[in-house]
Amino acid sequence: MTLNPIPGDLLTNGVLVAIVVLLHIQIAAFLIGATTLAIVSEAIGMARRSGDERHDRLGHGLLKAEIYLFSTGAAVAIFFMIIILGAIWGRFFVALQQITFWVFFAEALTFVAEVVLIYTLYANWNRLRVHRPARLGMLFILNLAQWWQMFFIDVVASFMLSPNGGDTNFLNQILNPTEIPLTIHRTVGNIAWAGAAVAFVAAFRYWRLTRNVEHVTGSQPSLKPARSVGALAVQGVVAEPVEMREARYWDWVAQWGAMWAVGVTLLQPWLGYSYAKEIQLHEYPAWFTMMFGDLSNVFLVQITLLGAIFTIGSAYFWRRMRASGAAHYRRQGFLALLLLLVTVFAAQPAWFAFTYADVVAAHLARPFWDGGLLNPFGDFIPYKVSALIAMVFLGLWSLTIYLRSVSREQMRPGLIGRRSQALLLGLGVVVSVMMIVMGVIRENSRQPYLISGELTIHNQQIINSQPSDVGGSTG
Amino acid sequence: MSRSSSTTRARAAYRWVDERTGLTELVHKGLYEAVPEQGGWAYTLGSATLVLILLQLFTGIFLLLDYVPSVTQAWSSLNYLRTDDPFGAWVRGLHLWGAYTLILVIGLHALRTFLSASYKRPRELNWMSGVILFFLVLGLAATGAMLPWDNAAYWTATVITNILHYVPFIGDGLRQLWRGGTFVGPITLTRTFAIHIWVLPFLLFTFIGGHIYLLRRHGEFGAWVNYDTSTDNPSREVAERIRSAEPPYPTKRIERRYAAPNKTVDFFPNQLFKDTLVSAVLILFIFVMGLAGGAPLDTIANPATLTYVPTPEWFYLPLDQFLVLTPQNPLIAIGVLVIVGGGAAAMFLLPVLDRSPERRPTRRPEILVPAIFVIFAVIFLATLGVNRLYSL
Repeated sequence: MTLNPIPGDLLTNGVLVAIVVLLHIQIAAFLIGATTLAIVSEAIGMARRSGDERHDRLGHGLLKAEIYLFSTGAAVAIFFMIIILGAIWGRFFVALQQITFWVFFAEALTFVAEVVLIYTLYANWNRLRVHRPARLGMLFILNLAQWWQMFFIDVVASFMLSPNGGDTNFLNQILNPTEIPLTIHRTVGNIAWAGAAVAFVAAFRYWRLTRNVEHVTGSQPSLKPARSVGALAVQGVVAEPVEMREARYWDWVAQWGAMWAVGVTLLQPWLGYSYAKEIQLHEYPAWFTMMFGDLSNVFLVQITLLGAIFTIGSAYFWRRMRASGAAHYRRQGFLALLLLLVTVFAAQPAWFAFTYADVVAAHLARPFWDGGLLNPFGDFIPYKVSALIAMVFLGLWSLTIYLRSVSREQMRPGLIGRRSQALLLGLGVVVSVMMIVMGVIRENSRQPYLISGELTIHNQQIINSQPSDVGGSTG
Repeated sequence: MSRSSSTTRARAAYRWVDERTGLTELVHKGLYEAVPEQGGWAYTLGSATLVLILLQLFTGIFLLLDYVPSVTQAWSSLNYLRTDDPFGAWVRGLHLWGAYTLILVIGLHALRTFLSASYKRPRELNWMSGVILFFLVLGLAATGAMLPWDNAAYWTATVITNILHYVPFIGDGLRQLWRGGTFVGPITLTRTFAIHIWVLPFLLFTFIGGHIYLLRRHGEFGAWVNYDTSTDNPSREVAERIRSAEPPYPTKRIERRYAAPNKTVDFFPNQLFKDTLVSAVLILFIFVMGLAGGAPLDTIANPATLTYVPTPEWFYLPLDQFLVLTPQNPLIAIGVLVIVGGGAAAMFLLPVLDRSPERRPTRRPEILVPAIFVIFAVIFLATLGVNRLYSL
C-alpha cells in the first residue's frame, strides 16, 4: 500500500503549529486566570458581611465563560495533538512522547479533575450560594488542577528550551533550569490576561448599554447627547433603572479587570527578567538570539507592548478618576503621559538596523556621534532595563493612586464616558498580542533546534511529506 | 529562728531596698499596665524579640570564653568546640539558631506593626527606632558570619566589605577602613570582631531602651479592630471609652477614635502569659535545633581557592540574588545604592511618608500596594537565589 504525502512544507506546517498553539494558549491561559479571579472575587464577596451581589455575579460570569471556552479549547487541543503533531510532525511527536511520557500522563490526569469540577460548579453555582465556603473550596481545587496542568506542560516547553544536557530523567525534566521561572511567569500572566479579557468584555457591554440609553434620549432633541449613563442620571433623563444598574455593574467589572491586568503585569518585568537570566545562564545561544540576534527587535516590540499596557491602564484610570471627580486625577494623567514617554523611549530602536549582527557587520557598532548606529543610551541591556525599571515604578504609582481613590470611595460607577472604553478594548488586544509575541520569541529562540542542542528541525523531517510503502513487499 | 521571724526580716530587707530604689512601684508600673485585649498573640513578637536578643547576649558571652579573634586561631578555636567540647558546640549552635530565629521574629514583628499601622502618630519614633534595631540585628548577623574565619566567613567578608565600595566618592575609603587595607585580612577580622561585640551591641541596647520607653509612653496600639465601635452613637462611645481608659491610655496626640482601645486587659498576667509561652516555644525550638543542626564550620579560609562557591546566609539571599540580576557597570551602583538604599530609607521614613489617619490596610493602598510589591520581590529573589545556588 502506498501512502500519499500530506501537503505542506516546513514553513506552512510551522505556521500551522503556531496558529493552533497560540490559539490554544490564549484559551488555556484565560481558563486558569479566570478561575483565580473567580476565587478572589468569591473571597471578597464572602469577606463583606453585608454581602456583595456584584462579586457573586462576576464569579458566576467567569465560570460561564470558562465553560464556553473550555470546550473550544479542548477541541483545539485535540486538533493540535491529532492533526498537527500526529500527522504532520509525527516523528518528533513520538520522540517527545518517549521523553516526556510521564509528564503527559500526569497532564492527562489533571484534565479528569478539571472536567469533573468545572461542570459540577457550573451546574450547581446557584445551589451552592448557601454554601459559599464549599463553593470557594471547589473553585480553589479547580484552579489547583488547572495550575498543575500548566505546570506539566511547562515542563515540556521548558525542557525543549533548556534540556539540562539532554538527561531525560523524569526529575531532571521537571527541575530543568527554566521550568520554575516559566511557570511563575505564566501563573502571573494568566491572571493579567484574564483581567484584560474581563475588562475587554465588560467595556464592550458598557459601550453597548450606554448606546441604548442614548438612543432613548433621542426622543428629547433639546438635550445634547450624554457622554455616559451617569451623566444622564445627573440630568434626570434616565428613567430606566435596569439599564443604569447594568451599566454601573459592567463599569465596575471593567475597572476590576483592568486593575488586575495592570496590577499583576507590574510583576512581569521582574519575572521575565529572571526567566531571561536563566536562559542566559543555561542556553546562551537562545538568549543571544533573543537579545542580540534575529529576535532582538521582536523583543523590543515586547517591551513596547508592556509599556503600552501600563500606559493604557493609566490613561483609563485617569479618565475614570476624572469622570468621578476623584482627587489627584491630574497626577494620574501626568503619569499616563510619563508612561507614554517611557514607552516611546523603549520603542525606539536601539540601533537602526535589523539586528545587532548587521550593525557589527557594517562596522557601525559605535555611537551615532562617531558615525555609528548605536543609540546614545548605551548598550542594549542597560537601555532596556532602564525603560523597564521606569515603567514598573510609574505603573506602580499609577495603580496606587487609583486604588487610593477606590478605597476612599471617590469612584462612582457609570460616570465614565463611552469613548474611554476604547482604552480597555485596546488593553485586551495588547495583552493578547503580547502573549503571541512572547510565544513566537520563545519558540524561535532555540532554532534550528526543537529540543535545544539535542534535536534539530532538520533531522525531524516531515515523514509524511513523501510517498512511502507500508507492509513491505507484496510478493 | 522561727519561720515568721525570718519572713519578717526578709520583708524588712525588701522594704529597705524598696525605700531606696522604688522597686515595688517599678514592678507595679511594669506589670499592671493596660494592653488591648484583641490580638494579644500578635503582640508577643516584640517581647520574643527582646528575649532572643538576650539569649544572643548570653550565648555570645559563652563563646567569648573560647573564641580568639585572629586569622591564625579563630577557626581552630571554633574547631576545638566542634571536636572536643560538645557543650561549647551546642552553645555555638544556640547562637546561630538564635540569630536565625531572631531575624525571622523581628521581621514578623515589623510586618505586624506595618500591617496594623501602629507606626502612625504619635508612635513614629517607635517605628524608626524599631527599624534601626532591625538593621542593627542584620548588621550583627553579617559581622557574626565573618568571625569563624572559614571559607564561608572569608568570602562573606569579601563581598560585604566590597559593597561599601559602591558608595559615591568615599566608597573606596570606607572599604579600606573596614578591611584595614586593600584586601580582606587580619585587621579586617579584628575590626569586624570589635564591631560585632562592642559597637553594634552598644547601639542595640541603647535603642532597645528607647524603644521600650516609647512603647510604655504611648501604650500598645494593637490594630484597627481594637477601636471598632458597636453602638449607634460612635462619638459618644469613643468619649466614654476615653473617660474610663486605664493608663497608659488615652494616648495623647492621636485621632480621638484611636485614643483608647474598646477593651483592655492588664499586661500581667494576661499578656505576660502569652509572651512567656511564645518565647518559651521559640527557645525550645532553638535548643532543639542547636542540638540537632548545630553550627556548621567550613574548611579554614583560603583566599587562593578557585573552586569555592560562596553561599550567602539565607536572610541575605534576596540581596545577593538582586546583585546577581543587576547588570554590572554602570547599573550595579543604582541597584546597590538607589534601590536597596532607597528601600531602606523608605522603610525608616514610613511614618513621614504615610501621614493619613487611616489604619485599615484596605484603606491605605498607597502604602500597602508598594509594600506587597516589595515583599513579593524579596520572596521571589530568595526563591531564585535558592534555585541558583542549589540547582533546584
